[in-house]
Amino acid sequence: MIGFVAWRLLQAIPLLIGVSLIGFGLMHLAPGGPLAVYTLNPTIQAQDIERIKIIFGLDQPVHVQYVKWATGIFSGNWGYTFFGGRPVLDVILERLPATLLLMGSALSVAIVLGLSIGVLGAVKRYSVFDVLATTGALFALSFPTFWFGLMAIFVFAIELRWLPSGGMWELGEEGNILSLLRHLVLPTMVLALVITATWSRYSRSAFLEVMQQDFMRTARAKGVPPAARLMRHAFPNAAKPLIALLGVELPFLFSGALVTETIFGWPGMGRLFVDALNMKEYPILMGMMMFTAIFVIIGNLLADLAIAAIDPRVRLR
Amino acid sequence: MTIRISRRGILAGSATLLAAPAVWGQSINRDRIILAMTQEPVQFNPLLYVNAGTENVPEACIFDALWDVNDKGEFFPNLAVQVPSRQNGGISADGLTWTVNLKRDVKWSDGQPFSAKDVEFTYQTIMNPNVAVRSRAGFDLIKTFRVKDDHTVEMELSRPFVPFLWAWQNMHIVPQHILGREQNIQTAAFNSQPIGTGPYLLRSRTAGSHMVYERNPNYHRGPAKVRQFIHKFVPDQMAAYGQARTGEVDYYALSGVPPDRWTEARAFPDRDFLRYPSPNVQFIYYNCGKPQFADPRVRRALTMATQMQKSIDDIYFGTWPRTLSYLQPTHWAYNSDLRDYTNDAAGAERLLDEAGWRKGPDGIRAKDGVQLKFTMSTTAGNTARQGCQALFQQNWKAIGVEMEIRNMPASVVWGEYTTQSRFDTLLVAWDPTVGLDPDYTARCHSKMIPVKHRQGSNYVQYENAEVDRLLELGVTQTEQADRIATYRQIQAILHDEVPFAAQGGSVQGHLKRKQLQGPTPNQYVTDITWNVYDWAWA
Repeated sequence: MIGFVAWRLLQAIPLLIGVSLIGFGLMHLAPGGPLAVYTLNPTIQAQDIERIKIIFGLDQPVHVQYVKWATGIFSGNWGYTFFGGRPVLDVILERLPATLLLMGSALSVAIVLGLSIGVLGAVKRYSVFDVLATTGALFALSFPTFWFGLMAIFVFAIELRWLPSGGMWELGEEGNILSLLRHLVLPTMVLALVITATWSRYSRSAFLEVMQQDFMRTARAKGVPPAARLMRHAFPNAAKPLIALLGVELPFLFSGALVTETIFGWPGMGRLFVDALNMKEYPILMGMMMFTAIFVIIGNLLADLAIAAIDPRVRLR
Repeated sequence: MTIRISRRGILAGSATLLAAPAVWGQSINRDRIILAMTQEPVQFNPLLYVNAGTENVPEACIFDALWDVNDKGEFFPNLAVQVPSRQNGGISADGLTWTVNLKRDVKWSDGQPFSAKDVEFTYQTIMNPNVAVRSRAGFDLIKTFRVKDDHTVEMELSRPFVPFLWAWQNMHIVPQHILGREQNIQTAAFNSQPIGTGPYLLRSRTAGSHMVYERNPNYHRGPAKVRQFIHKFVPDQMAAYGQARTGEVDYYALSGVPPDRWTEARAFPDRDFLRYPSPNVQFIYYNCGKPQFADPRVRRALTMATQMQKSIDDIYFGTWPRTLSYLQPTHWAYNSDLRDYTNDAAGAERLLDEAGWRKGPDGIRAKDGVQLKFTMSTTAGNTARQGCQALFQQNWKAIGVEMEIRNMPASVVWGEYTTQSRFDTLLVAWDPTVGLDPDYTARCHSKMIPVKHRQGSNYVQYENAEVDRLLELGVTQTEQADRIATYRQIQAILHDEVPFAAQGGSVQGHLKRKQLQGPTPNQYVTDITWNVYDWAWA
């Protein structure tokens, strides 16, 4: 297994170089750039923009800019932001805990709920519950997240005044776990709603497929109780596609949720990305892209290892 | 020990958690003021900030300028003992030598004394080619800068420049004893952990959430009235408005209450709704370098055909004042003799016929093989501006002019597409160019066209010798009455030749708790915390 992991990590190096090359190239090929932010400043003039262009190194050819950036990355220097002049890694890492908390809680809630609903829907196929769950999932997937977000704020924060409408803490109560939990409820609820819908659909179809297999019929014929059939026989087999799905979703734990974070003022990676994109903050965008790419690789590697662990037929080579 | 978790227990626990704050927000904490904005500052060095508005907040809290400007447009001293003028001897008779006397009892928040060296260093940093200072407007006219003693500086200008007061009002003073040691000011730790002379000190920052300031006990004008000031970031406009309603924030400013909610917001019994004019004026920019717009009669006819007042009434719910110049109608230099000639489609048609632009078989006007067809661009996603564009499109279609809406992301449309004058027309909002001085040299002097002279911001490529002369005269006149006369003439010519057609002056709707005193609309600054030192609870 160690050889397998080492080989996969070695394979990741050219992959990351490729991702960075394509990302950097596309970013610079796209029209516009970071200097547009200055144009709207009333005092700025053409000569100022030219001067700032040189200071940011944007006057140099794209390949020279790339080599400078890549050399920095290899030596552990992720560069500095254009606006603020702060180390990119610091800017990313200071947003990470908030995103991990929100995405982690939403994903946990969604997986538990989605799995339960999916399994129940598969076991009681075409029942009233199954029809309601299917309709509910369709509803949750069809409506935009920002609508759910604004409705949640309107009902629970403005009308009922039960919960805060945004932010991560009550100001001045940073570190108060109860305050954090209260602020976490609405964004988690909104985000989990959509993820639950996805997971319930995936798990329903995965379990349905497994439950129609011969070995399930055999287990039933042997008199294995329903709960044991589900847990010992169906679950390990149905879990494989779900683990693969989890592997793919792992990077979202770090990349954040753009819409939910914006509506609830949650200080996570999603908002950092939106702000950086609006201002064409190339160093932050590149940093976030590499960060996400690394976690895509790790997520898939972990998923492969987990599948091998639960399925003896899978050999890691 | 076994912990038993029952379903009933979970339900009861959840209900307790949810119901704990029976009514969220509401109560006032008189020890602090919470100000909400939709944008977050990323740069706390006052010389390097990019986003006026939100980045003005740390600037106003932490730093001081030599002088500030009040809501009547009058300068008042801050770090300087007095605002230089001819009367007090601060400006020489020829307008070339400026002497500034500095206060003696000022200390940086780390305890070091403030001195003339800091002012000199601030000037040197502004002119440093390796520092991305947003503008050198005015400072590039300083020929020599002398530190006469610890509390006096003298500057000699290469030519008289009255808006020089605005240049210094816009640039806050930074500490020489800290930044002078930095190899690279662009990446200095100071930019996120600033030391200033201002009324508040930056205590903490939670990225993406808020910044906490504590009052500076040694502030040279005396400690601020409220112990703590919090600048909170709520990126969604409606969510921020919601927080102002629930009382989670005490004051919601900048992008403010959406115009369609102004009536509702005015009715809240425990809130004050502030109609806050900004220095911003929205224009249609005609690129005079394009063949369609070379003739001033075409630009005037196009403007005549537009329903400007209707656009304000229908799209901005009548919240903006109509302006006919690049200044807000309440500005001291505004030319109130200008007459609104818009909403006159018949007159526009006559003028276009007179200028030789005749309707072709397809109904589109043309002259010498050039059709009167063009594009109009602005920031994609700005729904209000898109509404205006649609209205103008209809207005122009009715007189045989075809306009295509071509909007782009901000980083595209305001990049070289604007600065290299590649557009046909733009819908854009801009402030005056040197603080709120009426000087408009950068925007309409013929030597300020970037594609021709690599300087200025005359993106419409407008050229008029008389306007050039008046602009050059205006910045040398020290008497306000003389300046008013000059700038009224400039506005009259621009109104007649229309390189840009003013639509309306931007006004924001702010919402604050009734008990919060201090926030005062000031159309002369972009900074809504311009008097944060005076904010207090009643």
